[in-house]
This record gives sequence, C-alpha cells and structure tokens, in this order.
Amino acid sequence: MTGALPGVAPMAVPPGAFLVVGTLLFAIGLAGALLKRNALLIFLSIELMMNAVNLLFLTYARMRGDLAGQMIVFFVIAVAAAEAAVGLAIFVALFRAHRTVDVDKIALLKW
Amino acid sequence: MSPTLAVALEGAAKIAFVWGVVLGAVLPNLIWVERRMAGLIQDRPGPNRVGPFGLFQAIADILKMFMKEDVVPMYADRLLHTLAPLILLVPAMTTFAVIPFGSTIRLFGRDIPLVIADVNIGILYVFALTSVGIYGLVLAGWASNNKYALLGGLRSSAQVISYELAMGIAAISVFLAAGSLRLTKVVEYQASGTFLGFLPLWNCFPQALGCVIFVVSAFAETNRLPFDLPEAEAELVAGYHTEYSAFRFGMFFMAEYLNLIAASAMMATLYFGGWSLPLLHLTGLLGGLVSVAVFAAKTGFFIFLFVWVRWTLPRFRFDQLMNLGWKVFLPLSLLNLIWTGVLVLAKVI
Amino acid sequence: MPALNGQLVVFGFASFLALAFALLMVVQKTPVRSVLSLVVTFFGLSVLAILLAAPFIAALQIFVYAGAILVLFLFVIMLLNLKEEAADKDDRPVQRTLGLLVALALGGLLAGATLRAPVPPRGAPTGTPIPLPDEIPALGRLLFSDYLLAFEVLSLLLLVAAVGALLLSKRRFE
Repeated sequence: MTGALPGVAPMAVPPGAFLVVGTLLFAIGLAGALLKRNALLIFLSIELMMNAVNLLFLTYARMRGDLAGQMIVFFVIAVAAAEAAVGLAIFVALFRAHRTVDVDKIALLKW
Repeated sequence: MSPTLAVALEGAAKIAFVWGVVLGAVLPNLIWVERRMAGLIQDRPGPNRVGPFGLFQAIADILKMFMKEDVVPMYADRLLHTLAPLILLVPAMTTFAVIPFGSTIRLFGRDIPLVIADVNIGILYVFALTSVGIYGLVLAGWASNNKYALLGGLRSSAQVISYELAMGIAAISVFLAAGSLRLTKVVEYQASGTFLGFLPLWNCFPQALGCVIFVVSAFAETNRLPFDLPEAEAELVAGYHTEYSAFRFGMFFMAEYLNLIAASAMMATLYFGGWSLPLLHLTGLLGGLVSVAVFAAKTGFFIFLFVWVRWTLPRFRFDQLMNLGWKVFLPLSLLNLIWTGVLVLAKVI
Repeated sequence: MPALNGQLVVFGFASFLALAFALLMVVQKTPVRSVLSLVVTFFGLSVLAILLAAPFIAALQIFVYAGAILVLFLFVIMLLNLKEEAADKDDRPVQRTLGLLVALALGGLLAGATLRAPVPPRGAPTGTPIPLPDEIPALGRLLFSDYLLAFEVLSLLLLVAAVGALLLSKRRFE
C-alpha cells in the first residue's frame, strides 16, 4: 500500500507505519482496560483506544484522499467529550454511594 | 544557499528577534512600568533607588529570584511540583510564534513575512496552548499538598476554562469576517478597506461587542485584576503559587507577564489592525520597519491598559466572576457572532 | 526503506512519544500521573495528525481532548482524592497474565490484518478530496452541507450530556 494519489505528493512516511502505531496504541489501551482496577483508569484506557482508532481513520483518509475520514474523527472527538462528561458524573455518583471506584469492590449485582 | 537552510536561518533570526525583544527588553521594563505606575496611581513614588528612576529594579528582582532558597514542601509530589511552572511557562513563550509583528519585507532577494510561523490553523494554535496552560495551574495547586493552593489552583483553572469559551466565540466572529484562520490574513483583511466609508476596517468598529468581550476575557485568562481572586493575598494566601519560592516563583511571575504581553499582542492583531496603519500602504524595507513600530506601539498601549486597570479596579468575587463568564459573556458573544454573520452577508464588512 | 527526511524524523519522535507514554500510563501507580502521561500521548498523536494532512484535527485534539476532557478527568480525580492503587492481597495473577496475553494477541492480530487489508481506491461518488494546502474551508463546507444533520444532532447530544452530568453529580440532601 502506498500513499500515492493522482495529483498529490506521495506520503513521505509510509502509511503502514501509521497503521502499526495506531494498532499498537489500541492494544496498549486494551491492556489497560483489562488490567486496571480503578474505574477511572479503565475509562482513560478506553479513551486511548478511541484515539488510536482516530489515528487509523486519519491515515485512511489521507491514503484514500477522502475528507470523510477527518469528519468522522471530528465527530468522534465531540462524542467522546459528551461521553466523558456523563461517564465521570456516573463515577462521582458511584463514589458517593460506595466510597470507592474499585470495580472489584462494586459487586452488588453478583449472585 | 539551499532553500531549506535559508528557511531555517530566517526562522531562527525571527525567533531570536522576537524572544530577544520580549524577554530582554519588554519583560524587564514591564516589571518597572507596573511598579512605577502602581506608585503613580496610589500617590507614592514606587521603586526609585536601583539605578536612575529605579530602572534597574527588574535586575534586582531577578537576582533575588535566583538567590533565594528553593523550598519544596515535604509531602509534595516533587516531579509535579517542578513540572507545573514549566507547563505554564512554555505555552506563554511559544504563543508569539503565530502573531504577525510586521508586514512582508524583502531581504537578500527573498520575501520574508514578519511572522515566525504562518500556520494555517492560526488562532487554534493559540487556543490549544492556552488549554495546555491550564494543566500548569491545576498541577501547581495539587502538587503543593496545601489546601489553599489546591483551592486557588482549581479556581484559577475554572476561571480560565470559563472565559476561554467567550473569548473563543468572540474570536470566531473575527475569523468569520476575515474569511481565514490565519492571523496574517486577519491583519491583511483589516488593512484592506474602510468601514462605513471613514473608519478603518479594524474589527473593533463593526464588532465592538466582541472586542469588549475579548478584552475583558483576556484579563480573566491571564489572571489579572479584576479577575485575580485565585492569587489574592487576603483570600487564599497566594493561591496556586503559595508553596513556590525563588526561581520557580520567578517562572510563574514570568509566565504571567508573558501571557499578558501575548494577550496584548493578540488584541492588537485581532481587533485593532495589527501592524497596519489606516491610510498608509506599508511596503518595502522602510514600510516593514514602520509596521513593526506600529505593532509595538499598539501592543504597548494594551500592556499599559492591563497595568492601569490592575491598580484601579477592585477584584471580583469568584461567584460574580463565574456568573459574568457564563451568564453574560457567553450569550453576548453568540449575539456578536450572529451580528457579524449578518454584516458579512449584507456585504457591509 | 524510505529515504531519511524531516517528516520521517518527526514521525519517529512523535510515535515514540505516543507509544512510550501510553505504556507509562498503563504502568503508573498514581492516577494523576496516568492522566498526565496520556496528555503527552495525545501530543504525540496530534503531531502524527499534522503529518497526515489534518491540522484542524490536530489542533482539536489538543484543544478539546487534551485541554478539556483530560482536565475534566484530572478534576474528578482530585475531587474524589484518589490515591495510588493499593497493592491488594488478591492480586489476581491468573487474570493479569490472561489479560496481557489477550491484549498482545489481539494487538498482533489487528496489526497483521490492517497491514494486509487492501485500501479501496477513491472512486466512491461521495468521496471528497483533501485540498491539501487549505483543508479547513473544505471541512467547514462539508460540515454544513453533507453532515448538517449529524452536526445538529451532535449539538443536541452535548446539551443533553451537560444537563445529564449536572443532574447525576448533584448531591442529594435528604
């Protein structure tokens, strides 16, 4: 795969490199989401995963020469902001009820 | 010489010039001007011992900053405590990169625009840097392990975030009228015509409301009176920089003044025509030099305004401050945006 | 191997920064330091976005993501006064190893799949080309023409989120 489009200079950095970086960041975020116990840090790792996907979208937008990729990233960033606000409010309410944000200890629905 | 080397040298020369002027000439004199003007307004002499008219007071202050003992509180997070002033200082110093300080001059056969980096995202760069500066405030408060510092830090950052909104929307109206996010294009737009036939096309005339909002929000963004409750002595000891001494305090001090200078330069660029004069068309080497002088004069006027207001007005209470930012300025800036849109559609500006 | 040029150097530095601080974020004990490591990661990602001809998204990443969302995270951490993750007796070694293996396996699988996937050429009728020196006016035009509904719904979503967050975190005085 190349970054060559008709009429546009080819990418100086091979696009495969961007894809690898994005995928690695996604994997790191996934590791964080699986291994952490603090609910806020899990949420943070999920945000990292979303940003890794943003990077992938931008790479494909550049490779295809299509602005739609950048538009999608714009919307993802805005929706992530809304999600972070609501999610953090939920964590604050949770903390007030249980005095902890440790996901192992918040186990009221377990049998 | 190769074009890359020429571009690099050009950039380095511009950076050296801007930083040399700002850090070497404007900053020390600003310290002196502030304290003498404070004395003038408060009917007392101000510093007049060190050098003629106390002009070397800044050197004395800087020496004191270096010599004092650097105290770090015992249970403070050392890394964050050290990092916080840097996080505040670096955006303050790099904001100058996108502000055009003169027209284009022609030297050695090349057209050199007098701006360090004419990026196509212009103003977004400045706003992004302001957002990064918030971390410095919050971390300074948190890392000091001191409840007053924490309160001061949180209040400071809440204030900056709130006024960032109104300031941003007021600035959007400017870019709506100019048609581009680049600051060079904004200045060119303001130099390009007249408003209602006799006034220059400076954005302060058609968008007076936006101009007022931007100027007042700039006071809030730089934590200057009347918005300096987070660092008021009587309220919060010294707010987020309570536990800082010697050089680190000097860095906060420097960051505040640099922010002030950058904010004045932004006001001059966005609303008062930047380096352009109303009737003259500044070209060539002489025109370039005149444009730099014009820009310096306008920025100087706004710095004077900052200092004047500080020693004249009392400060706002925190809830009054937040009320003003959210309930008054935000709707008014949206109104200004709509007004500018109407003017642009009607081809008046 | 591509020739050594400025962009490659910048790419190397930015991706190293992003990956290193992402790893640090996962490894750090204190929540505050995790958030700060993520801020540096976002700076690296922002530089990568500039390399990918998306300067507006790069500025947005710093301005919105690193400058507002992560500050919100930091405020909540300070509000709840979360200290280090206490080393617990039940350290769950089996779960840790399994989690790490799953992440590594998935990462490898995804990397292989993305590198092998063919990128379809731009030929779709609605593909909008990136006018490289001046993407921002084109983005603006797209936002208000093709994506207008999404834009309006997004503003409604943000309003709902703000109201919801306010309601959820209100202290009930019983």
